[in-house]
Amino acid sequence: MAITAEEFKAVTVNNLGPAVWAKLNGATVAVAGLGGLGSRVAPALARSGVGKLIIVDFDIVEASNLNRQDYFADQLGLAKVAAMRDNLARINPGLALEAHNLKLIPETICSLFASADVIVECFDKPDQKQMIAETVLARMSPKPIVSASGLAGYGRSNDITTRRLSGRHIVVGDFVSASGPGTGLFAGRVGIAALHQANAVIELLINEVK
Amino acid sequence: MSVQLKINGELKTFESDMPGSLGALLEQLGVDAATVVAEVDGVIIERAKFGSTVLRGGENIELIRFVGGG
Repeated sequence: MAITAEEFKAVTVNNLGPAVWAKLNGATVAVAGLGGLGSRVAPALARSGVGKLIIVDFDIVEASNLNRQDYFADQLGLAKVAAMRDNLARINPGLALEAHNLKLIPETICSLFASADVIVECFDKPDQKQMIAETVLARMSPKPIVSASGLAGYGRSNDITTRRLSGRHIVVGDFVSASGPGTGLFAGRVGIAALHQANAVIELLINEVK
Repeated sequence: MSVQLKINGELKTFESDMPGSLGALLEQLGVDAATVVAEVDGVIIERAKFGSTVLRGGENIELIRFVGGG
C-alpha cells in the first residue's frame, strides 16, 4: 500500500510544524552529481520535506556503484537521473523534480540552477568540484553552495566536519582523504559526508534562505 | 625587502621569492591550480585569472584545495 502526496504532506507538516514545513516545502535545492554523495543527499532532502529538487548527472548505474551509492541491483544500466527519479518518487510522491541527464559546465550551472535556493556539489573529481564552486561563488551571488572534499577510506568518522569557509561556502569532509589507488570509497564515510551536506542544506533553508 | 602574505590564516614571509602572481604562488606551494578555489581579500578569483592576478604584500589569501572522491 502506498501513501499519497497529500498523506506525505500531512505527516511532514505534523513532524516539522507548519512554519518549518512551509520553508522547506517552498525551497528548491540543486544536487549536482548523483554518485556516492548525491545519491544519499537527494533522498535525505526528499524525506525532509524539501519541495523541489533539481538533480543532474550524466552517468549510468553500474555494478561498481552499489557498494556505496543508493541504487539497487535491478537498476543497473539505467541513467542515474532516471533511477533516482524512481527512487525519489517512491520516498515522497509529492516531490517536484527536475532531472537533467548531462555533464554540467559553468553555463549550464548558471542556467539550470538559477531557481535553486542552495546548490549541493556532489561530484567525484577535484577539478569538477573546483569548477562548480568557482562558478557559484563568482557568478551566482548570493546563492550558497555546499561542497564536499576529503571523504575516502573508512573509520575516522569524527574527522568529517562541516565548515563554513565564507558566508556562501560550506565545505564538508576532512579536506585531505582523497580517493585513489589503495584508498577506496566506502558507504559509511561517504554517507557521513553526504548527510553532513544534507544537514547543512536544511539548516540554511530553515535559518537563512528567504 | 621582505613581503608578507596571509595564506589560510598564516603569515608567510617572502624575501626575493615573492611570487609574481597567484598562479606563481600555487606553483611555489606545489598545488595543482585545477583543484583550487582562491579568494584574495575576500574576492573570488576565477582560475582563468590566476596567472594575471598580481599579489601585493599584506593581502589575505584563502585557498581551498579540493581532493577527489564522492
